[in-house]
Amino acid sequence: MIATDIAAILPEVILAVLAMGALLGAVYTGGDRTTPLLIWSAALVMVALGVWIGFGMSGTRTAFGGAFINDGFARFAKVAVLWSAAVVLLMSLDYLSRCDLLRFEFPLLVALAVVGMMMMVSAGDLMALYMGLELQSLALYVAASLRRDSVKSTEAGLKYFVLGALGSGLLLYGCSLAYGFAGTTQFSGIIATAQDGHVGIGLLFGLVFIITGLAFKVSAVPFHMWTPDVYEGAPTPVTAFFATAPKMAAMALFARVMHDAFGAAVADWSGIIALLSVGSMFLGAVAAIGQRDIKRLMAYSSIAHMGFALMGLAAGTGFGVQAMLIYMAIYLAMSLGVFAFILSLERDGRPVTDIGNLHQYSRQQPLRALCMLVLLFSLAGVPPMVGFFGKFYVLRAAVEADMIWLAVAGVIASVIGAFYYLRIVYFMYFGEEREPLDPPASTVQWAVLVASAAVMVFGVVNLLGIEGPAAMAAEALVR
Amino acid sequence: METIILFAPLLGAVIAGFGWRMIGETGAIWLSTGLLFLVALLSWIVFLGFDGETRQTELFRYIQSGALDTSWAIRLDRLTAIMLVVVTTVSSLVHLYSVGYMAGDANFRDGESYRPRFFAYLSFFTFAMLMLVTSDNLVQMFFGWEGVGVASYLLIGFYFRKPSANAAAIKAFIVNRVGDFGFALGIFGLFLMVDSINFDDVFAAGPVLAETQLQFLWREWNAANLLAFLLFVGAMGKSAQFFLHTWLPDAMEGPTPVSALIHAATMVTAGVFLVCRMSPLLEFAPEAKAIIVWIGAITAFFAATVALVQNDIKRVIAYSTCSQLGYMFVAAGVGVYSAAMFHLFTHAFFKAMLFLGAGAVIHGMHHEQDMRHYGGLRHRMPRTFWAMLIGTLAITGVGIPLTTIGFAGFLSKDAIIESAWGAHSPAGDFAFWALVIAAFMTSFYSWRLMFLTFFGAPRGDRHTHEHAHESPAVMVIPLAGLALGAVFAGMIWFKPFFGTHEEVNAFYGVPEHHAEATHGHGADDHTEATTGAGDHAEGWMPGQGAVFTHPENHVLEAAHRAPKWVKLSPAVMMLLGLGLAWLFYIRAPGLPGRLARAQPRAYRFLLNKWYVDEIYDAAFVRPAMAGGRLLWRRGDGTIIDGALNGIAMGVIPFLTRLAGRAQSGYIFTYAFAMVIGVVVLISWMMIGGGAE
Amino acid sequence: MEYLLREYLPIVVFLGLAIGLGAALMLAAVVLAVRNPDPEKVSAYECGFNAFDDARMKFDVRFYLVAILFIIFDLEIAFLFPWAVAFRDVGPVGFWSMIVFLAVLTIGFAYEWKKGALEWD
Repeated sequence: MIATDIAAILPEVILAVLAMGALLGAVYTGGDRTTPLLIWSAALVMVALGVWIGFGMSGTRTAFGGAFINDGFARFAKVAVLWSAAVVLLMSLDYLSRCDLLRFEFPLLVALAVVGMMMMVSAGDLMALYMGLELQSLALYVAASLRRDSVKSTEAGLKYFVLGALGSGLLLYGCSLAYGFAGTTQFSGIIATAQDGHVGIGLLFGLVFIITGLAFKVSAVPFHMWTPDVYEGAPTPVTAFFATAPKMAAMALFARVMHDAFGAAVADWSGIIALLSVGSMFLGAVAAIGQRDIKRLMAYSSIAHMGFALMGLAAGTGFGVQAMLIYMAIYLAMSLGVFAFILSLERDGRPVTDIGNLHQYSRQQPLRALCMLVLLFSLAGVPPMVGFFGKFYVLRAAVEADMIWLAVAGVIASVIGAFYYLRIVYFMYFGEEREPLDPPASTVQWAVLVASAAVMVFGVVNLLGIEGPAAMAAEALVR
Repeated sequence: METIILFAPLLGAVIAGFGWRMIGETGAIWLSTGLLFLVALLSWIVFLGFDGETRQTELFRYIQSGALDTSWAIRLDRLTAIMLVVVTTVSSLVHLYSVGYMAGDANFRDGESYRPRFFAYLSFFTFAMLMLVTSDNLVQMFFGWEGVGVASYLLIGFYFRKPSANAAAIKAFIVNRVGDFGFALGIFGLFLMVDSINFDDVFAAGPVLAETQLQFLWREWNAANLLAFLLFVGAMGKSAQFFLHTWLPDAMEGPTPVSALIHAATMVTAGVFLVCRMSPLLEFAPEAKAIIVWIGAITAFFAATVALVQNDIKRVIAYSTCSQLGYMFVAAGVGVYSAAMFHLFTHAFFKAMLFLGAGAVIHGMHHEQDMRHYGGLRHRMPRTFWAMLIGTLAITGVGIPLTTIGFAGFLSKDAIIESAWGAHSPAGDFAFWALVIAAFMTSFYSWRLMFLTFFGAPRGDRHTHEHAHESPAVMVIPLAGLALGAVFAGMIWFKPFFGTHEEVNAFYGVPEHHAEATHGHGADDHTEATTGAGDHAEGWMPGQGAVFTHPENHVLEAAHRAPKWVKLSPAVMMLLGLGLAWLFYIRAPGLPGRLARAQPRAYRFLLNKWYVDEIYDAAFVRPAMAGGRLLWRRGDGTIIDGALNGIAMGVIPFLTRLAGRAQSGYIFTYAFAMVIGVVVLISWMMIGGGAE
Repeated sequence: MEYLLREYLPIVVFLGLAIGLGAALMLAAVVLAVRNPDPEKVSAYECGFNAFDDARMKFDVRFYLVAILFIIFDLEIAFLFPWAVAFRDVGPVGFWSMIVFLAVLTIGFAYEWKKGALEWD
């Protein structure tokens, strides 16, 4: 009994034990000098775990009396989380060493956050959900203020912490309401009470509060306010991490809770999620126009993209979940490339983030500018880049679920949003003369940028086969 | 062989158009011309050696979608063979003529290369026209139909620096579009009813369509009549019939060889060809045929009246073409398709010759086109004069009445007039009288052209007259070639086109027993006619042979039995017209002016072409322009641009500023937003969601 | 909906009473009270001596550190106590679960000790 339970969560256990062991090992031996080693080994472990989970596991297994679910859906999200976290770690190394930020805690915090995310996406119980969420959040709070001597970084950490506590409080309140009205914390139990044909109003209240807490994690409007400040204040590698793995995990958790626990009340929550989706798409598109800082801009961009992913969820169908997963996978690939680019921007040895620095970038670095052009087009959803197909999938999901208005709103928002992406392209290719940026050095960042751009172009062929696994994952969740 | 005929002009067009830099201008010109002469030679071989049996050669498949099965195939029957000869002969001679005519054109700058382009267009046009006439299904035909439309557009607007040429090109294209719309609707309708667009299937379906009703617009129509009419609308556009004729005179803005090739001999006859090609359908559409007769007769009459007073030499010939096309439609409309094809065949020769002759005059007179500034030119251009004289004799129909000896136009035009009389229907009677009067006017304006140009004293700019010169040999040789056709084409091929029923049927490859069946029952014997109808239900199908005539269609025999006064009337009219022209322009040159002053209204009415252009301008062009301007200024400019610019430059930046202000940086603002968000979501759930 | 609202009716009544009472008392003070302000009366009251700093002074962040560490171990005890009470029933799984929990806490403790978080200076 307990042995099979442990076997089900073995990847999480391994990662957690390694992280704690590394913590003790590093603090008692080399301290910060061990950081490069830790980063490489953490990345390798994550990649290996991803391979194991993705290719070595199959079927659906539950553990701890249903509190932990290891199914195709969880595995899809876990692989995405693990690999994107590994890529972020690798491309951060160069930046951290040049900014004198090589703290050995960083890879360990990332690893622990990843453990939390893996818990989240596998949660089958409100308590497991909260535990995973908090493990992830606490690690991220600390990571946000990694640069302790910077006012902005500590401010970012504190803001994130306070608002995160509020979000967690709302979530907990929702959980307690759900528990109170359903009589159980297990998702399977909650859905069973709802399946009597009537979803109690108390349960719906709980649902709204749970949605609120989850919306905070995916930074959907109006629970997005922390995002720009934290993205801007946190060190860029941490921002890159924020923009990728936690978003995937939170979206997966969102889908998990909505379908596993409240799958019988789709009509009740799809409207709310549609509202969040529309708000996020429009605010992300509109507010980003005013931004000059590329990190803030990416924050709004991620808000808008979460809006699109939520559109797939709002459809409330299996295809909607599939579309959401595909969208998130594409979003991860795009974000990694863009942040690899942002990490490489320097002038006189100091990182710069103002988009004004990108004037005439194509003259200095034609290949990088081209990659960035591809990525920005993809972010804007210009065919034939892969980003277009992500949008196409979620729009189709919305249309098939008879939410035409939502799809129309999405199209309008993406038109507005295209402006600020294209403005960067304009700066890079047609801007005025400025003093050039430093030539970038890191080969890892270069490789990630080029690979990401290549995925955006060549993924057109069959989306690199992502469709099949996403369909299987969605099928595992929505039956 | 047909494949070579079809694709050699395309090859010439591609090489001349894209490859002339490699082979040089002269090389491109002579290559395309040479290919055309080869094609013409092959066409004559095909025509003379053709046995009347329909042959289909499939080249490759084109569109396969559901029931739609379109392939590129060459359908070779008598109609195609005739058209091949007409098209390639005229085209090759026009190519040769253009070598001289287009040398050193004043519309282009020195050193500018335009001739390879011109020859490429000419060859491309020939290819499209051949594609049209050799098509085996309606889609392929439509391809060629539009191809000649494009080529015509390019060639009319060839002098692209002249605004009037561009306007004429656009006008031709748009007016044709109206007709093409009808044609396309007809094709759609046929596909809807027959489930195929192949000629064989369509032809076989004729009897069925005649008994089918089709819902179109506000009511039900007889399918055969409706579809035949829609196809005829397409033909009206291409062949410049009344209502859709306005583009043809304007198309004279193109170089004169173009007018000769496209707007006299080939493209404008595509409509006639289409009607003859669809004869198995038309024979079951009596109302549509009546409409064709009416429109054709009106066109013949109308265009002839307008031609009486025009002063531009090319416009006179253009209206003459329009009028002659009306003749052809009358013949087709009364059911004597062979007569229509006969006139098409002969008309191609003499009208191309008239155009080329006019071109030679214009060329020799330094691009002066107003006949009032000509006069006495027969001394300066004797060869051109003789060519024009032969053309005029042919078009006015000079010949020995009651025999088959005469110029080409004499035989074919008389055949049509007799056919119209033989129809014995209201439309036919009207057409007969209209055509006889038109024949009188044809004679008048043709001789008027001759007298004004070649006789009398030189008028206008003396300098121009002193330098008037005969054209070079490359321009005169084509005239000679066409002269042969204009003189002899009618006499040689009279019997196959307008002989007895057996002769005509043999020529067109119509199966023997059909002819016997028709022959078997007399003209008035209706009981036997119904047996004949039962006969075709058993084994005989429309579509065997190039043209089809209904068993009850006896117009051909009736035409042959026409009384002598009918057969004499065109010749009398021709003499009257000649005499009047002589009186007006040789004997008493002041008379026309006095007449015009005495009847100013009638004169202006004719001079302004019955005000058709003005009516169209007021009825269609101006409202369309006004509507377009309204939509552009108000709709696009104010509403759409205004709204988009307002949103993009006003609302969005405002929202951006608003969003920026909301991002205050204070935690309590953020927390407040979250709480408000919760409230909104709860309310949304309570009000709009499934709270009940 | 109806049922739910009816359940909350007593709370609404209480809310109304509380607001009403509070407002009434404050309004009564405004209306009825005698006001004779002088400098001594309006100054802050600080256990007999004069106020020497703003009340919103900054605390040393180390106080928070200690407080947080204290709370962590406080919670540890809070977990341990029911565990000890139910020790007989939870069995070996329960025992080892708590040992894992304690081990994780100990790792954290060892880390903060080595990092010097427990030293005041």
